[in-house]
Parts: sequence; C-alpha cells; structure tokens
Amino acid sequence: MIGYHFGRGRARWLPYLLLLPGIIAYFVVALGPSLATSVYSFTDASGLPGAPINWVGLDNYEEFLFLGQAARDNLNAVGRTLVFCFFVTTIQFALGLLVALILNQKLRGRNFFRTLYFMPVILGAVIQGLIWSLFLYPLGGPLAKFLEIFGARSEFLGAQPTEAFAWVIVVQIWANMGTTMIIFLAGLQTISEEYYEAARIDGADRWQVFRNVTWPLLTPSVNTNLLLNVIGSLQAWQLFLILLGYRNGTQVLGYLIYATGFGQTSGSVTSSFRQGYAAAASIIMFLLVLVIGMAVQTVLRRREARLMG
Amino acid sequence: MRKTNLLSLVVLLILSMALIQPVAAQTTTLRVLVHQNPPMVEFMEAFNQAFQERNPDIVVDMSVVNANDLSTVTQTRLSANDIDVIDMFGFANAVQPYMDNVDPPNWQQLADAGLLMDLTDQAFIANYDAATIADAGTYDGKVYAVNLGRVSYSGIYYNIDLFTANNVTVPTTWSELVQACETFNAAGIPCMTAGGKDGWPIFVGAYGLTGALYPDQAALVEGLWTGTITWNDERALEMWSRMQVYTRDMIESGASGIAADAAPGRFASGAVAMFPGGTWYAPAIEAAEPEFEWGYIPFPGSENAEDNQYLFGKYDQGWAVAANTPNAEAALLYLAEFSEPENYQAFVDAVGFIPTQPTAQLNTRLGEQVAPYLENFRVGYEQYWVSPRGVGQYANPWASYFQPFGTFDDPQALADTVQADLQSGLDAAGS
Repeated sequence: MIGYHFGRGRARWLPYLLLLPGIIAYFVVALGPSLATSVYSFTDASGLPGAPINWVGLDNYEEFLFLGQAARDNLNAVGRTLVFCFFVTTIQFALGLLVALILNQKLRGRNFFRTLYFMPVILGAVIQGLIWSLFLYPLGGPLAKFLEIFGARSEFLGAQPTEAFAWVIVVQIWANMGTTMIIFLAGLQTISEEYYEAARIDGADRWQVFRNVTWPLLTPSVNTNLLLNVIGSLQAWQLFLILLGYRNGTQVLGYLIYATGFGQTSGSVTSSFRQGYAAAASIIMFLLVLVIGMAVQTVLRRREARLMG
Repeated sequence: MRKTNLLSLVVLLILSMALIQPVAAQTTTLRVLVHQNPPMVEFMEAFNQAFQERNPDIVVDMSVVNANDLSTVTQTRLSANDIDVIDMFGFANAVQPYMDNVDPPNWQQLADAGLLMDLTDQAFIANYDAATIADAGTYDGKVYAVNLGRVSYSGIYYNIDLFTANNVTVPTTWSELVQACETFNAAGIPCMTAGGKDGWPIFVGAYGLTGALYPDQAALVEGLWTGTITWNDERALEMWSRMQVYTRDMIESGASGIAADAAPGRFASGAVAMFPGGTWYAPAIEAAEPEFEWGYIPFPGSENAEDNQYLFGKYDQGWAVAANTPNAEAALLYLAEFSEPENYQAFVDAVGFIPTQPTAQLNTRLGEQVAPYLENFRVGYEQYWVSPRGVGQYANPWASYFQPFGTFDDPQALADTVQADLQSGLDAAGS
C-alpha cells in the first residue's frame, strides 16, 4: 500500500495549497488572457482604454473569412502559414537530427560545436533578424559579394515574395534548430550503448543500427520535437516583422494578427486599432494549431504505441 | 565598538534617505514618445536639455521608436498610463461623409476613447496658424493636437555635380526624366536610390507621379469612393506604366536592402544621381555631407511641364498630451515652451518642415529649393484616403507592387488587380 505523504485531516490540503500559486499564475498569465481573447473576438474592441466595447456577435469571424478580397488574402495567409510550417518542421527536424547524430559522436571540439549550433536560440528575434539583414544586404553584403563571384545577384529579403518568404524559413530554421538538436542529443544519450553493441554483434550496418535501434528509441524526442516545431512554426511572426515588415504576399497568420491588432496593416496613416478583429483571427489560429497539433499528436501516439509497445 | 559604529552608519543612512526623499518626490519625470527621424531626435535631445535647465524640477524621459511601431507603442503606453506627451505622427483626415464601413484613423480613435487632452484653451495654440489647427488638430470642435509642420513627399533630390558632369538638364517632363535616367544608367551611374527595405519609401517616392496625373487628390479619393474614377481606367493605366518604368529602370538594383534612414546618406555620398523622397530627408542629406550640392524638384510625372509644378504632401508630426497624465502641468509647459517662436523656428530649421507657425520662416537650403513651389503645395492622397473594410492588399496606387519590389510586371494586370481589390471593399461597404 502506498502511504499518503502529507498525512491526514487538514494536511491533505497541503499539496493543493502548494499548487495554488502556480494555478493562480496560470490563470492570470495564460488561461485568463486566452479566455478574454475569445470574448474579445465577439466585440469591436479597439484595445484602447476607455473606448466603448460593443458586442458584434460573429461579425469579426465573418469579416475575416468572407468579406471581400481581404478575406481571400487572409485565407492565403493561412495557406502560407501551413507552407511555412511544413518546410520549417521538416527541414529543422531533419537538420536537428543530423547535427545531433554527428555531435553525439566522440569528436574533438564537439562541445564547442554544440554551443555554436545552439547559440542562435539565445539571441532573440531582433538580434537574429539584424544579423541576417546584414548578411543578406544586397549592396555589398557578404552573400551578395559571394554571389558576385559567380556573376549572380539577388535582392534577398527584398526580392520577390516567394524568395523573401524562403529566406524567413531559412532564418527560422537557423534560429531554432539548436533546440531541436539539444532535444535529440538528450534523447540519444538515454540510449544505452549495449543496444548498439548487440546490433553490431548481429552484423547490423550503420543504417540498420540507426533504423532499428536509434530511431525507435528516439521516439519520445521525435514526438517532442515534431510537436514543438509544428506549433512554433504555426505561431511564428516576429521574424516576419523584423525581416520583411508588412509586405504583400509574405504575411503569415501570426503576423497578420499582430499587424491588425496594433494598426500596422498597411504601414500607412490610415491604419487603425482593431483588437476585436485581431482576437477573432487569433481564435482562428488557435483552432488551426489545435486541430493540427492534435492530429500530429494522435499519429505520434499511435506510432509510439506501435514501436514501444 | 564596531557594532556601535555600524549601527550609527545605518541610522545615518536611513536619515539621509529620509532627507533625500522629499527632494526626489518634487522631481517630475515627463515621458515623451517620438518616432525615429534622426534630425528631429537630435533637435529634441537638445531642446530637452535646455528645457530641463530652465525647469530643474522636470526630467524629460524621451523614448524613440521606429515610425512603423509608433502607433503600437502609443497604444500600449497609453493603456499603461505610461506616457505624457505623444507624437501624433502620420496625420490622416477624418472619415468623409461619402465613406462607409471604414475604421477611423488612429488619432480619431484615441480622441473618441478620451485618451487625448483637450488643448483648445491653451495659449500656445494661438502660435500656430488657424488653418493648421482646424485641419490637423481639431475633432468634434476640440483641439487635440498641434501640428508641427507640413512635408512634401512628392519631390526628387538631384545631384548637381553629376547632372553637370553628364550634361543632363534638370527634367521638367516625364520624357526628360526617362532620358536623364537613361543617360546616367549608360554612364554606369544608378539613376535613383530609395530606402526600399522599409517598403514605404518606394511607393511614397512615386506619389509625385500620381500627383502629376491627378492634381486634385481630394477629388481623386472621392472619385475612387464614388466610382467616377477607377484604378484601371485610361489615365490610371498611364500612371501604372510610368510606375513600372520608375521601379524597373530608375531605382537602382539593391535598393530593397537600403533602410529609409540610410538612403539620404547614400544619395549624399554621390553614388546616385537622384533620390525621390520627402522634404524631411534634407537635414539628413546635409548632415551626411555638408558640402554636397543638391537641388529639389517636383516629380515630373506628366508630359506637360505645367502639371509638374505641384508639391504634394501632408501634415506630419504633431504633439498631443495624454488625457490621464499625472504630469499635465509639466506636459503643457513642455508644449508651451516648444511652441515659442524661437524654439519652433529652430525646430523647423533642424527638420526641414514647412512651418505651421505664421511667424516661422523656411530659411534653410531646402526652403530655397521649395520656395518656388510652396504656393502650389497640395495635400496628397495619403492624407485623404481611408480604406473600406474588405479591400484587398493591392488597393492603393503604389509603385512597389511592381517588380523587383512586388510581383507584377504587367501594368494592365496590376491595374485590374488594384481596382478589383478596391472594388471588393467598396462593394462590401455598399452592401
């Protein structure tokens, strides 16, 4: 029989009492604002203190999804968000795994390289954006100089929306790959050397060792990384703001919400504050993240059950 | 003994703190928010220093943010009651009677929410010309802001030495401008530069082209709203075709990487022949290269030189005060001192604004350049336009939609897209 560590009577409340600060913090910082956002999404709130707030029902949702060409632009932004998510998740996942596998070997200077690959994570979006803006400066920046050797040139972040968008994918991966790598490294270090020895004794080559030992036993790290990458890339917006600003053909949903909520949609003087509308867009993004996140999680759980038993 | 000394020291420290406290409490920290504009910021820092010396009980805490972020920061700091004096940058006209289903401009929303102080009865209001106060600071019969100056955004700076060296005359028509650029390009000199990294300098740089073809911009806006003018009619197509030449053949390659702040420096370096931009750039050009010889002309967007005599622009920066500021007295004193004619003149000299105080003179080099056109100054499209909800992302007369900055390379296709994007909003407004 398992004893109850906190005793009897009033003492049974102690764990709840200890949990209370965390729960309060969660309600105040996370759940409260989320609920407020969902309520705001049914209003015409501007976000300005003192401004009247009126209940508008589903008007914001209707406008976001159906009103004029703006609705089609919004849906294009949703599509772009999914494309961004796909490329960031797959490339970041694969690169993170590859680098983790390499840096899990007994190589000289591996700690230095682990630090080097992880460093972008701690820089913050503004510094990350500044570094890449300088690196991609089209008039004599390092990459422009390199391309000049081959007689090529590019406007990089100022290029056609597709190319500019691709550069944000590159920067997003560069900025976050370190986290993926660290999670994989942690997972790799939990795999006992005995499994590898047994596989080698059985005559398995490198690929077979990876496929039949490493990959299945990395399942918890795979699941964590996939979910973090999917959710993180669906919600991305800061690098879009810093690298591209509000530019036609490049906005993702997260940036659209920021721009709408804080009057930056056109960069022109006629922009206005529309936090009720932005809240509706946030709820749509939340639903998108929820549906995709849950689908990914379901698939991953089934896979985990199949592999790990 | 040591314990006694330590105790004495602690008591002394506490007493000192208690004595210091009342003095510290008398100091007012005046929180001022401005947008990034290097000559203006430099002037404001000097003005703040002088203001503090005249008013030793006030400390000015000035924050500077990027122009694109100003509305966001204004909103958040007003929400937190963390701001006293507000930079009302990017003034837009109020919603017009023929407009429907629109969101009021930011400043109007701030006034409606009761976040701006009513300045109507302040004595310094009289220092500004009545038309400015009425046009760019009054709403619902109350004065909420003093506007500090008008700017023209429709001109082109040109490098006198490069023009002379290449035997190029200052263009007065569109064909002459095209010819001038061809001459410079053939000589390996980029024709124009612009701060393309920030996006807006590309399309603002071509507002003069729009103005040359639509000299009455208020009528243009009303015509677009009421359907008597479309962005894909014959005249508009002419505008789009010229805008394509502007982005494709006139603006230098790589301009998309140049920040708005850096463009004046690049022009002043002598690397390019021209720089389409607003009058607010003049101090930065002079600061970058004081000996540099430059001139400023209206954008020659029309084939008729007579149509190219107008400068289009807008009311620029203004001052407002947060309604709920605990430092109202200091904030009003700040505005009053700023508005004194000699301080305002120094401000205008520093930033190159076309003055809104009747006693002030535009006696800078820029003043000499724009003087011939001042009588022809007109408020431009940007100040009149308010978009209906539902418009698409291509609903403005912006040259930046063209390659290499945008995706379009066919004027007709762009014209149709722009009109369709606008029409979807107009239809939604009418439904």
